[in-house]
Amino acid sequence: MEEKAASDNPQKTFTCQLCSLTSPFTYYGQKPPNTRAIVLLEECFITKDPFSPDREKFLVLGSICSLCGTYVCVGSDCSLFYTKRFCMQCVNKHLDQFPHQIQVELAKKKQSAKAAVS
Amino acid sequence: MASEKRSWDWGSSQCRAQLDEIFFREHDYIQAGSSEHKEFWAFFERFQRFKTKRDMSGAEIRKEDKDKGRDRGKVDLGLPKEYDARYRINVSVCTRDIEERMGKSEHRSRQRSSGPGAQEVSDCRLALLHFLDFSQKQSFGKLAKLRREQKNLPIFQYRDRIVELVRLHPVVVVAGDTGCGKSTQVPQYLLSAGFNNIACTQPRRIACISLAKRVSFESLNQYGSKVGYQIRFETSRTATTKLLFLTEGLLLRQIQQDSTLARYQVVIVDEVHERHLHCDFLLGVLRSLLADRPDLRLILMSATINIKLFSNYFSGAPVLQVPGRLFPIQVIYQPIPPEEQSSKSEKLDPRPYLRILQGIDQRYPPEERGDLLLFLSGVAEISTIQEACQIYATHTRRWIILTLHSTLSIAQQDKVFDIAPPGVRKCIISTNIAETSVTIDGVRFVVDSGKVKEMSFDPKAKMQRLQEFWISRASSEQRKGRAGRTGPGVCYRLYSESDYNAFAPYPVPEIHRVALDSLILQMKSMSLGDPLSFVFIDPPPAASIQNAVFYLKEQGALDSRGELTSIGSLLAQLPVDVVIGKMLVLGCLFNLVEPVLTVAAALSVQSPFLRSSQHNPDCATARQPLHSNQGDPFTLLNTFNAWVEVKRERGGGSRKWCRRRGLEEQRLYEMVNLRRQFKDLLRSHSLLESEDSTPSGGDRVQRRERLTERRKLHQLKRDHEQQEGSKRKVLKLEEGQEGDFSSGSDTEETGRSKRNKEGSGQNLDIQEVKFKLRHNVSELQEAVSQDLSSHQQALLKLLLCRGLYPQLALPDEHNSTRKDSDQVFHTRNKQGVVIHPTSVFASDPEVLQVPEGDTGEMGPDRRDSTKHQLLAFVTLLETNKPYLSNCVRVPALQALLLVANTVDTNADCTRLVVDGWLELELKEPEEALKVLSTALTLRAEWERLLQAQLGQNSTGGAAVGQGVSRRVVQKLSESLVRFLLYTEVSYSLRRLSAFQTQNLYIGPQLESVLSNTKAGDLNPLFPGAEAKPDPIKGGLRVTNFFTYNCLADSKDLYSECLRTFWSCPNCDLYMPLTPLERMHHETSCRPAGEQQQPEEGREFLLYRTLIGLTRALGHILYFRRDKEFHTKCECVYQLCVFLFCILFQSQKVEKQALHQCRALPEFITVMCAIKT
Ligand SMILES: [Zn+2]
Ligand SMILES: [Zn+2]
Repeated sequence: MEEKAASDNPQKTFTCQLCSLTSPFTYYGQKPPNTRAIVLLEECFITKDPFSPDREKFLVLGSICSLCGTYVCVGSDCSLFYTKRFCMQCVNKHLDQFPHQIQVELAKKKQSAKAAVS
Repeated sequence: MASEKRSWDWGSSQCRAQLDEIFFREHDYIQAGSSEHKEFWAFFERFQRFKTKRDMSGAEIRKEDKDKGRDRGKVDLGLPKEYDARYRINVSVCTRDIEERMGKSEHRSRQRSSGPGAQEVSDCRLALLHFLDFSQKQSFGKLAKLRREQKNLPIFQYRDRIVELVRLHPVVVVAGDTGCGKSTQVPQYLLSAGFNNIACTQPRRIACISLAKRVSFESLNQYGSKVGYQIRFETSRTATTKLLFLTEGLLLRQIQQDSTLARYQVVIVDEVHERHLHCDFLLGVLRSLLADRPDLRLILMSATINIKLFSNYFSGAPVLQVPGRLFPIQVIYQPIPPEEQSSKSEKLDPRPYLRILQGIDQRYPPEERGDLLLFLSGVAEISTIQEACQIYATHTRRWIILTLHSTLSIAQQDKVFDIAPPGVRKCIISTNIAETSVTIDGVRFVVDSGKVKEMSFDPKAKMQRLQEFWISRASSEQRKGRAGRTGPGVCYRLYSESDYNAFAPYPVPEIHRVALDSLILQMKSMSLGDPLSFVFIDPPPAASIQNAVFYLKEQGALDSRGELTSIGSLLAQLPVDVVIGKMLVLGCLFNLVEPVLTVAAALSVQSPFLRSSQHNPDCATARQPLHSNQGDPFTLLNTFNAWVEVKRERGGGSRKWCRRRGLEEQRLYEMVNLRRQFKDLLRSHSLLESEDSTPSGGDRVQRRERLTERRKLHQLKRDHEQQEGSKRKVLKLEEGQEGDFSSGSDTEETGRSKRNKEGSGQNLDIQEVKFKLRHNVSELQEAVSQDLSSHQQALLKLLLCRGLYPQLALPDEHNSTRKDSDQVFHTRNKQGVVIHPTSVFASDPEVLQVPEGDTGEMGPDRRDSTKHQLLAFVTLLETNKPYLSNCVRVPALQALLLVANTVDTNADCTRLVVDGWLELELKEPEEALKVLSTALTLRAEWERLLQAQLGQNSTGGAAVGQGVSRRVVQKLSESLVRFLLYTEVSYSLRRLSAFQTQNLYIGPQLESVLSNTKAGDLNPLFPGAEAKPDPIKGGLRVTNFFTYNCLADSKDLYSECLRTFWSCPNCDLYMPLTPLERMHHETSCRPAGEQQQPEEGREFLLYRTLIGLTRALGHILYFRRDKEFHTKCECVYQLCVFLFCILFQSQKVEKQALHQCRALPEFITVMCAIKT
């Protein structure tokens, strides 16, 4: 698994523990380099945005669930940010504490996922 | 609202600019003026609209929200009670510092308080946060999708297994059908497993580029150069490149330079099953290279065809077989009924194809998507069927007809990937290029004609042949498989099941079909030993190798022992045909490099003249000034030069210029690139002086301007490349109707301009941008601008002819009585060939005929003229007829004497037989001798200079002399031109019959007249040349190409009647000489002024004595008929002639030559005898 300490190793990779999405990252923290006014509200695994020609554009790959410490990617199937990062397992466990909008949204998504399977 | 009060207008650019001051400053993440900045404001408008909508309808929800928020005694997540979308964003933007500053200044200038208030700033910030979040989601979405797709590829499960196999074994075979993902994934697996310096070869250039693009995207290095490609003219490789896609040919060249291939750790050879010539050879080379590089990892990737062959070739290398991903495909056999089958010469009958289109329309509702891919054998067949299908498509409006073959430009090929609008299907009519190399998604129907056109080589006729064949079962299955890549499909086979069963299992590998000249040359230069014993995966027939060796010898690339000559080793470095390479080398010697470079480049690419425009009268008229009746290479030269001129004057306007003339501009771009590559190659072999590194017109302002321009061009190129990667376009229903088969460049342009309208709006010609980046057009124009003088033209012709030799054709003697379209020609090995309709000589054959008034009457089958011509040609290709293309006309006698490999004569040299197939008869022995001896002199000098030039650059030997002086070359070229243009000799020219060829030579002479004299006495006659009796033909072999007096009608060498008095125009020699003696004297006797004569001392005395003695002996020989005395005097006489010549030739070699003269004792004895 990834060590944040190993920041000088160029071959650092981030792997989501839920969907196993894997990608190398270049920075872990809240303040990606060369972003001036931008600050992240959580510590994130960050890489250069590979889809932008601009060197300075970053891409957040994932972070750590504030409740259980799971490494999760930012994909909506794996985690949710609502003032803090929650992995989907924790979200489901504490669904009632989340605002109605989010509950409705997740329910909808579940339904459409089911429809796609059947 | 506050903003209204203070007249804040979000739409105003001034107001926005004020916010830009806060959020989008120079060093901010997003900067004002950037594309993201533009996107932000577009996003902002959408966001505001969305907010107002939600504000109006969302009040209730918020209330409901408030009712919640109870605590069940579980872990409290500490979430805010009220929902706000803002909480879902993990980014914040701190601009307090700048706001405060702005705030202060705002206080000071209250009176014009139009600046943003707190509300506006916070609105903007919120929008920015959402924008950032949105961009993050977008990029992450792409990444997730990419990973998902990678994971879904069949090969993904074998990822670790592949890496492990490669770690353990030097050679691994990965076999998998198209769609399994091997080409894109295996290199990535190896990269991420830590392998570096990976080369991955591809049979096609296009694949190198597209794979490099795809893999760099997938490995998230789209904008870096970790993954690169290298093809003939282009490379994206940098020092950081770890994975390089390159062509097989290029890797072979790299091995040629570095026999251990030290620069790579891993070599992947992809598509080995296609069995291209280069690939088969590459495998052989790598196989022997592995012994020196035990650390090298070799991976062969193949479709699941004949895998055992590859594994066995590498001593049982492990095979990893990956299942493809195919949906079920229904096969329908629909053999073409006999009445619809077309014969060889007829056009294809489109009815069977149209029926299938109709059938699909009847059976499948238009909402059910799925395109059709139709396999035909060749371009002509494609346009026939396209025409018919297009009519059907226009009528039904349910189809878009597109074509795909390798002669289309990349942009045109690209169109097949665009998407058809709903309710419409694409019908892609393709050659076998879509069988394995180009993969089109969305194909549901495949129509397989079962035919393929393949190039083969007929060694007997020395002719390429493009023939139609039935495909193999393997190809048939490949074609079928194209229907099942994205869903279940249907394959219509236009042949019966029994036909299918009778197909060969695999296609014939290229190495069994083509001429192996270039391959053998390359093998020789790589020191791979005897080509016959090289271990090929599937050895070519020995005869085919021997043919190639013979041909290379004929070309002068190999010597008689089969070793590389100096010109041969140079030719092996040039990535062109041997004949083209020879032209280049020859061009360097004379001051004709620029036109030769152009011609060589032009002859190495496809013709820029579009066939279809030939019948367009406007094009024909516009083309007219470019035509040269000297030959097609000259037309190409004119065209290129005119194009460069247009480029310099009008830049991008050249596209229009080309279209008006029916020219495919892409080919001209290829020519200019190839030309440049040739130039670099010649420079790197020191055949050309390097240009000054200081740019021309080197003042600082200009240089800076050029630099700025270059920067701008680079930006344009980058922008274009980015755009290119954008989404597939939706095709228009009219897409195929512009008749794009008939005018490629037209559609290319319409396609591109359409795209540009959607994109940047400007009409960018990316080729023009690349051209400007690569070439300095004014320098280029300067280099090619001078028109050739008639002398230069003649010399250029000779160079082309020598390069192309032995590819010569003789006009049939009855051509003048035939129609223009029925003109017939003969090559040495193939009779009755015709000129390709695209050639200038097809429209203007008269220039090849002997003018009527010029022919002398010498009997019914003999036409004497001074104006006989031959055609030197680049290709002889048989399609429905054997066609000569790219021809140039040359004066027959002169050209043959200067370039032919063998010239045989009778005793008085009035009858010449060239290369055993052409016979020339001259009326006047006097003229015959003169022309022959001039040719001998010129050839000797030319050869000497060429060898000096080549010897100069040979890396091993130290430079002997200062190479070739300009003056000497100038003199030679003048003499050559004089010989070509002003030799006025009347002669007949004809092809020898088979019977005549059999009884051509007198054969070895046992009872020679010469037997009276000692054999050694022959030598003095020809100092320098190894004149000796020819053991096969008989007669005397004077030089390596010239054998004297060996023709069966010859009289004997020394019969007196052949000795005639002759006075040398250069020295005061006057005596009876045999033709041979005279010729020899002429080659060694230079015109006055060139050679100083010995004037004093011993040499002078010897000189005078010799002249006297020679004269006296000559007279005796001429008048005395006493046999014994005659023989003795003959010997002395020969010696005298020899000594005489030596004196004239060089005084330095005199002594040496005298010592070497084995007849010296004899000479002394005879001298004594005379004294007494
Ligand atoms: Zn995940
Ligand atoms: Zn969790």
